[in-house]
Amino acid sequence: MSEILTTDGIPLKVSLKRAERINKIRALVLVLPLTLFIIITFVIPILSMLLRSVDDKQINTVFPKTFKIYEQWDQKELPSEEMYATLFNEVMTADKRQIGKASTRMNYSKSGWKSLIKKSKRKFKKIKEGPYKEKMIAIDKRWANMEFWQAMGQMVNPYTAGYYLNAVDLKYDAKRKIVQQPKKRRIYNHTWIKTFKVSILVTLFCLILGYPIAHLLATLPLKYSNLLMIFVLLPFWTSLLVRTVSWIIILMKKGVFNSILVWAGIIADENRMQLIYNETGTLIAMTQILLPFMVLPLYSVMKTIPPSYMRAALNLGAQPMHAFYRIYMPQTVPGISAGGLLVFVLAIGYFITPELVGGSDGLLIGHFIAFHLKTTLNWGLCAALGAILLAVMLVLYWVYNKVVGIENIKLG
Amino acid sequence: MIKTIKAFLFAMVSVAFVTTAYADFTFVSWGGAYTMSQQKGYIDTWGPVKNGSTKVSVENYNGGLGEIKAQVEAGNVNWDVVDILPVDAINGCDEGLLEVIDTSGWEKAPDGTSFPDSIVENGTGTSGPISECAAPQIFWTYVIIFDPKAFPGKKPSRMKDFFDVKKFPGKRGVHTWPQAVLEMALVADGVKPAKVNSVLQGDGGTDRAFAKLEDLKGHVVHWSAGAQPLELVSSGEVVMSIVYNGRAGAAILSEGASFDYVWEGQVLDADWVAIPKGSKNKAEAIEFLKHATSCASQAEQAKYITYMPMRPCGTDIIAKNEPWFHTGINVLPHMPDTEKRLKKSVFTDPVWWADNNAELKEQWSAWMAGNK
Repeated sequence: MSEILTTDGIPLKVSLKRAERINKIRALVLVLPLTLFIIITFVIPILSMLLRSVDDKQINTVFPKTFKIYEQWDQKELPSEEMYATLFNEVMTADKRQIGKASTRMNYSKSGWKSLIKKSKRKFKKIKEGPYKEKMIAIDKRWANMEFWQAMGQMVNPYTAGYYLNAVDLKYDAKRKIVQQPKKRRIYNHTWIKTFKVSILVTLFCLILGYPIAHLLATLPLKYSNLLMIFVLLPFWTSLLVRTVSWIIILMKKGVFNSILVWAGIIADENRMQLIYNETGTLIAMTQILLPFMVLPLYSVMKTIPPSYMRAALNLGAQPMHAFYRIYMPQTVPGISAGGLLVFVLAIGYFITPELVGGSDGLLIGHFIAFHLKTTLNWGLCAALGAILLAVMLVLYWVYNKVVGIENIKLG
Repeated sequence: MIKTIKAFLFAMVSVAFVTTAYADFTFVSWGGAYTMSQQKGYIDTWGPVKNGSTKVSVENYNGGLGEIKAQVEAGNVNWDVVDILPVDAINGCDEGLLEVIDTSGWEKAPDGTSFPDSIVENGTGTSGPISECAAPQIFWTYVIIFDPKAFPGKKPSRMKDFFDVKKFPGKRGVHTWPQAVLEMALVADGVKPAKVNSVLQGDGGTDRAFAKLEDLKGHVVHWSAGAQPLELVSSGEVVMSIVYNGRAGAAILSEGASFDYVWEGQVLDADWVAIPKGSKNKAEAIEFLKHATSCASQAEQAKYITYMPMRPCGTDIIAKNEPWFHTGINVLPHMPDTEKRLKKSVFTDPVWWADNNAELKEQWSAWMAGNK
């Protein structure tokens, strides 16, 4: 059988392939900007964040010789003169900025390294020859403190799990064994639990409050539901800070809510309730702020459910509750999942609202990420905290996919 | 190779930004009444701004070196002058995030002392700029305020009273980070203000401070934004609060709020101005800083806020020309560092805090979490 040719004598297959290739290239060119955009703004930052959370090279490249000798140190008594001399030389010869960065890193494993290095570097200039050990200790007695030298052990390897350990209240001890942080410094596990607790509760409250609203919106006649929709959307369009501050005014001790209760004689003037600057305030404010993210997906799903299904169920003799539970609710699961996931994801990273209304309960994990990002510049720890957050989300997503199925999510 | 790719990508992104948002000159500070005082005190009065040849755009930020570090590492520095805390001035300089500024030739004080020497105190017990990257701005303090109406009888007058919930019942407003609170706890525990830093930094010093803090357990409302404590006190949510003195001063002088201060045991801190490394307008920024740190500008700023000039020559101008505040009120009584008040003040030690910030923040947060 001979090949089918087109009019200009080229085999049809080749001609078709050529036409398709042009289309493919055209399609590729169209998505190229978006792909590049995603790579630059999303993939690279996330990868570099993940890399930062284990990267410990910034110090190894500054004091390579010291670390080489360090490996032979038995850690039982103060290091040898040789180690003192090597560190002395490396502090003196290294670039000033590199020293600054290295000492910042060293300070993470033992508070005090930063000023020790800085102060010593200034005074080292007076030391012309050995013995370095004695002279360095004479400059600052911290050089005779074993804890400082032992802390260096945590930084020997160019890659470290130290930041992840820090993020869950663990650390390396002098022998590089993983131990708990001292009791007074343990805060991250507590914060993780609190963050998840608040996020789960907020999601739950949003569902309880949002479900009836969405149902009402979907079933009311258009002219009422439009008005109701504005009530849902208006706060959504209002600035986050304005809403947060309004909650403070409403919930504070001499605020609107407490005053109404006192006026109505429900509570006594001296028994005004503490509704803000604690977890209650955080939950109330966050629930109200995140509510539209639950209502809108629920509404768009409920809108597509024909009312005749419920009528049929009732007609066939089901009790209203039973009909709702067996017929209506299963059809809204895609909306519940979408809203729940949205609210949970937003709540877990929430930062400013809990900070303003939460008082001593307001420090969620976002607060610590911001603190280390801006104040201590410990970006390694930030990256570790962020990576854990990301991992938790991925696990949740995976569980969700297994249980509900990701194809069941519906935003409208 | 990865570095080159990174650099290339960052360069591409920065080109995109530069072409879209170009401003002559960017000044970054904390916002609110403070930025307003800087705007009126020395931005509007700067020659190139007055004659219209330069536009200074003012941006707000929340402190810390995070943004500066991000800009410097990305090689795209948009900020030209930043108002920063002492800790950040030291750390930023060490890490190469800030430009080194040589202030030795800048405006002398009228009595002839050189520019660096006309800053008599910088918090570390020495004179001159706190780091070679910083130019002077203002002193401010963490001070206690209360509503006199909340205490019809005896009024709190010492730091001890802030920690004494039996004698002065009611909640206290405290910020959500450990700076200044620990120093105040030691003053309340009977340490002389001049000795506080050596006690705090010595063996068991922080433990002693935390032990004293137990007195406040269950009586604290924590705040995180500078405007909150004023609202907490005036609404009666707390009876006393730690505040930034300038916020309280502005509320009293400009809005007629009725707060009283407890000056004893106040904790002095400072603000410095610096230029991020790689600023595209470095030369201009230096000229601007020369103007901003002059005796006249230092005094002019105090017309709008009760933060103290770092150079005494600025304070001298104020003293000679009272009432100096723009509403026609004497401003010196609201300044934290009159001679008498300074004797009872603690100077927060930025070097020690730079060392211990992370560790103490964790310990402080753990204390807060258990503070119900």
